[in-house]
Amino acid sequence: MANTVRVQNAVSGQVAVVGIGETDYAEDWRRARAGERYSDSYGYAQLAFRRALQDSGLHRDDIDGLVVGPTLAYERTAEVLGLDVGWASQADAAMSVIQGATALVTGQAERVALVYGNDQRTSTVQYGGPGAMGGDAYLSYVYYAPWGFTSQGGLYALMTRRYMELTGLTERALGEVAVAQRGFSSVNPNAVMRATLSIDDYLSSRYITEPLHLFDYTIINDGGVALIMTLNDDPIVRNSNRTVTIRGLGRSDLNVDATSLRPRLMDFYHTAHSKAAAELYEVSGCGPDDVDALQVYDSFSCHIPFALTGFGFCKDEDVGDFLMSGAIRPGGRLPVNTSGGHLSESYMQGWNHQVEAVRQLRHAADQRQVPNARLVQYISDVAGKVVSLIYEGSDRGAKK
Amino acid sequence: MNPNMWPRPDITLWSRPFWDGVRRHELIAQRCIHCGQLRYPPGPTCNRCLSDRHDWTRLTGEGQVQSWVVFHQVYWNELATEVPYNVALIRLAEDVLFISNLVGVDHAEVHMGMPVRVVFDDVDDDLTVPRFAPTEPSTQASTR
Repeated sequence: MANTVRVQNAVSGQVAVVGIGETDYAEDWRRARAGERYSDSYGYAQLAFRRALQDSGLHRDDIDGLVVGPTLAYERTAEVLGLDVGWASQADAAMSVIQGATALVTGQAERVALVYGNDQRTSTVQYGGPGAMGGDAYLSYVYYAPWGFTSQGGLYALMTRRYMELTGLTERALGEVAVAQRGFSSVNPNAVMRATLSIDDYLSSRYITEPLHLFDYTIINDGGVALIMTLNDDPIVRNSNRTVTIRGLGRSDLNVDATSLRPRLMDFYHTAHSKAAAELYEVSGCGPDDVDALQVYDSFSCHIPFALTGFGFCKDEDVGDFLMSGAIRPGGRLPVNTSGGHLSESYMQGWNHQVEAVRQLRHAADQRQVPNARLVQYISDVAGKVVSLIYEGSDRGAKK
Repeated sequence: MNPNMWPRPDITLWSRPFWDGVRRHELIAQRCIHCGQLRYPPGPTCNRCLSDRHDWTRLTGEGQVQSWVVFHQVYWNELATEVPYNVALIRLAEDVLFISNLVGVDHAEVHMGMPVRVVFDDVDDDLTVPRFAPTEPSTQASTR
């Protein structure tokens, strides 16, 4: 069991995100749809890295730690970026941040770059069916092929149907997620999907795997994301008027019975949600009521009700009403996925959510800025691992 | 339903006895010799007590529907004529979770707790696939 006092002492307020970079999701989408193919995962990654460096004020030779995302080969990425570092790893979005923080607080690195790139659209990655992406890592993605059961969407549809039967959540209520996130993406110049969506648009859209509609599914697009992290007392932190630090973290895995989907289908991951939440809120010294905005890994819209209920923002039986109250929409009391998330901005497997959290806390989110954002939480509960982070923004030199 | 077009299972070291059992029209599961825990899908060891000694026990094949979906998207070209098809989560009487297709029932008739029993589809000379049919009479004639 994590020693939350040690984690808090070591990490909370100690690590800062000093640089963020992203590629041009909207422009690259237009070009991909026009049949152009001019870059690849490494090409997107290097652009995001260079933008994050420029944003931080650091130089490439300042970087002494590197984490690459799951879609990149570590050595090739480091070769392309010209990085011979002293600490490195490969991890998904939230774990990259956590591992980078660990390297910093233990002194193994002083300036860590987190780098991601994915050409899934132009290279036509298949999610589901023969050769399903991720099938070598997750048996449940391929084991049930004899029954035609495939795709992460199929698994989440099965979970959502059961959840609807047991809690009364309706398709109408779930549709609030897609509609709300389009509200944010429609004012995000870098988002792929700029058109707003009505509930009628949502309900009349075709089913992919019923009960999930087209608009419940993430988009599939190309892009890259990078972040630069240092300790909070690094001189480079003085570059900015607002500092963004990690306030807390939590993780809980559900691997037992993963392939039979028991934790997903019987428990909606709530056992892992509550353990990760307990660790996170203890380390952070705050609770759900203190969170100003929430970023949720949304490969599918149903992640939002599971995360909201799992982390104590509302109860299972109330989540439909919570969604229909408009709470997660722009201007709502708990804005969710304020850049549009995977459903509407870009499917960077949680990486764009980290950047959006930082942008909100810098108060640099323009038309989609959550007023006075101070704490932004990130939740991921894909593939049976629940990970959560809280980021905090403060004026440089401000006392807590 | 034309089972011949459906993807074939990946038969592994641990799952071969399961598929052989299905071929004999038996639904069987691994049972830990040490603690009695059933496990499915098959694997090398008991994740409750870590004993790697197991035998196989025959299941009743009866269970209740606990969730279901309908695939409208075509993920395998060979299934283009099967779409829309259902996939259901069945909790077997022994508390084993089984994911399979429901046959002999309209999608609209499927409901939580619906009682079902395994049926064995002899796909071809080499393969039988277990599917499930309702044990209660249908309220209307169905063609699937």
